[in-house]
Amino acid sequence: MTPKIETKNLQLYYGAHHALKGIDFSANANTVTALIGPSGCGKSTFLRCFNRMNDLIDGCEVEGQILIDGMNINDKYLNVDELRKKVGMVFQKPNPFPKSIFENVAYGLRINGINDKKTLEEKVEKALRQAALWEEVKDNLKKSAMSISGGQQQRLCIARALAVEPSLVLMDEPTSALDPISTSKVEELIYQLKEKYTILIVTHNMQQAARVSDRTAFFYIGEMIEYNDTTEIFTNPKIERTQNYITGRFG
Amino acid sequence: MTHLETELDKLKGDITGMFILVQKQLNKSIQSLLTMDKDLAREIIAAEKRVNAEELKIDRVCENIVALFNPVAVDLRFVFASFKINSHLERMGDNAKGIARYVLEMSEKFDADLIAKLQLQEMFSVANKMIDENIAAFENGDSSKARLVFEMDERVDAINFAANNIVADYIKANTDKAIHLLNLMSIIRKLERVGDLQANIAEEIIFYVDAEVLKHDKNFHNKI
Amino acid sequence: MNKRLSQKIFFTLFRLISLMIVIVLFSILGFIVFNGAKVISWNFLTQMPTDGMTKGGIYPAIVGTLILVLGSMIFAFPVGVAAAIYMNEYVKEVPAKRFMRLMTSNLAGVPSIVFGLFGMALFVNQLHFGDSIIAGSLTLGLLALPVVIRTTEEALKQVDDSFRLASIGLGATKLQTIGKVTLPIAFPNIITGLILSIGRVSGETAPILFTVAAYFLPKLPHSIFDQVMALPYHLYVIATSGTNITESRPIAYGTALVLISIVLICNITASVIRNVLGKRNK
Repeated sequence: MTPKIETKNLQLYYGAHHALKGIDFSANANTVTALIGPSGCGKSTFLRCFNRMNDLIDGCEVEGQILIDGMNINDKYLNVDELRKKVGMVFQKPNPFPKSIFENVAYGLRINGINDKKTLEEKVEKALRQAALWEEVKDNLKKSAMSISGGQQQRLCIARALAVEPSLVLMDEPTSALDPISTSKVEELIYQLKEKYTILIVTHNMQQAARVSDRTAFFYIGEMIEYNDTTEIFTNPKIERTQNYITGRFG
Repeated sequence: MTHLETELDKLKGDITGMFILVQKQLNKSIQSLLTMDKDLAREIIAAEKRVNAEELKIDRVCENIVALFNPVAVDLRFVFASFKINSHLERMGDNAKGIARYVLEMSEKFDADLIAKLQLQEMFSVANKMIDENIAAFENGDSSKARLVFEMDERVDAINFAANNIVADYIKANTDKAIHLLNLMSIIRKLERVGDLQANIAEEIIFYVDAEVLKHDKNFHNKI
Repeated sequence: MNKRLSQKIFFTLFRLISLMIVIVLFSILGFIVFNGAKVISWNFLTQMPTDGMTKGGIYPAIVGTLILVLGSMIFAFPVGVAAAIYMNEYVKEVPAKRFMRLMTSNLAGVPSIVFGLFGMALFVNQLHFGDSIIAGSLTLGLLALPVVIRTTEEALKQVDDSFRLASIGLGATKLQTIGKVTLPIAFPNIITGLILSIGRVSGETAPILFTVAAYFLPKLPHSIFDQVMALPYHLYVIATSGTNITESRPIAYGTALVLISIVLICNITASVIRNVLGKRNK
């Protein structure tokens, strides 16, 4: 089976700073992979390689192959906007647009040129259902997205990402700004979403990595130190540094 | 159902499976004893490997749940109880295998009269009933069923205690069969151990369901 | 001297200074309102001046000022917003950004009479527009440009980057992101800047002096190449070089009151719009 995503000898530089040092990584479809490690270890940078968000940063150089469904996306002739339509992203802080709930979810569809009212309504409902938010907002779709709670906003952002039907979803610490109840709702959601999507999640919360992921990669100063099944990482890590990190003895 | 609930449900299924597997081993061992069926005894010894493998698997499941989900309250008690029930069941499997080993070594069948006098069948069926109650209690989180087990254990203990005199008398009358009869006594002891293990399991179930610790409580029979 | 006392003294000093500013503002306003209110009437606002500007209304000056303001905004708004978008959204290099900002500030610091001379040289003479609405509007537009650029840039800067990232992350191009996310969010603040610059432009005299303003023209313009009267210039004329300065003094106060009212209305509208639209985004 070809892995859904793969990197081969991925090197990334911010100017003179060598931020990712030869990462060889792969993840299969319909799995959740957690990226853990102390701040500044490169896990978020690594995540952003898959939708080329690092392009937005001045002086960022990426070498090596990044494959999605076997296709190398680290190619300067690639249409990056098209890539980003296929790779959804959820950010650290809930960031719905100051528009209505409906328009937030419809945003990506409209960008894609879908303006037919009926199609929009169908797809918006589907995305909101997938994000487990439909029941809570179905009577208030016209309400401003800023008026719902932080946890609901984050699920709205997930719905917004899902509406364009990506196959890969990147999540950058999606619950770091949420309260525990909202966090566990989002975690449950992630667990359910892997039926349809491949998910890559960066998290500072080790227990979150343990709860939601199938595989876990531990990053440290730009290197991927250990990458294995989550159960292995959390019960029997092979490398001492990983063990020290997950047991809270450093970092 | 949440992710953790799904995992706990799987664990519950694993433990129930282990119960049934070990109960089968016990049934077969008694049957092989009563019929002197050595093939059946060999089958039990072979199947013991499966019991051991299952025990290791469940241990791993428990470890993973604790490591990955940090269960608390009833969920944590459930995992701890399952972990210990698992080990009790494995030892019960050992006892079944032990009985099968005696059967393999034996040259002749026991006197039917003696078996009847010892109430061996009764002892066995009570032990079996204890397992049934424990399975039901564990599956449904119903501690009232588990509480029935202690009284049955007393019945098993009584039969075991009475067996001492009966076998002693028999040995006096048949000194040439002393070893043979001592083996029988060992088998009865193993059955008695099965009863004890089921009582331990019942304690674990009560711990899980009612958060009540009965272990080492000298007065607990009065409380029930 | 103990700390408490010195604190008290300075605090009182600051309070007095602030109070003085308010008093000065209100005296000016009160003076103008007191003297100007007497002549304000429907006729004053809607009639041509007569009798060598000592009688009649200031209708053509009001219309002229409105036309000039509109004309200058038609030019300054799109150009200024576009420049601000370019500076804030496209230019990545910090030195280039800093240079452009410095130039904008310099432009804002140029005295308005210099704008007037420049407008005369370029629009009136070089481009042969003559003294006309178009020449005056463009000159005023140039004057307003730095304000529009500055306020738009500030408005764009206030838009949280997470909105841009969210949009780009969904596959929107930069242009789509600006059009559908950044500008709508920044809109209330941009409009506020626009209205504030209207207030500024409507009160300027020097830039229109050589480019459009008519000394006395008791009729409305027919095309953008006509001259018009304008409130600030009219005020200047009747206060300094009119046919009969003493007799036209009440009209001067009335004109000043109308001009100040326009500026005030602009400022109040700006804050109302900011509050109303701003709330919608919360």
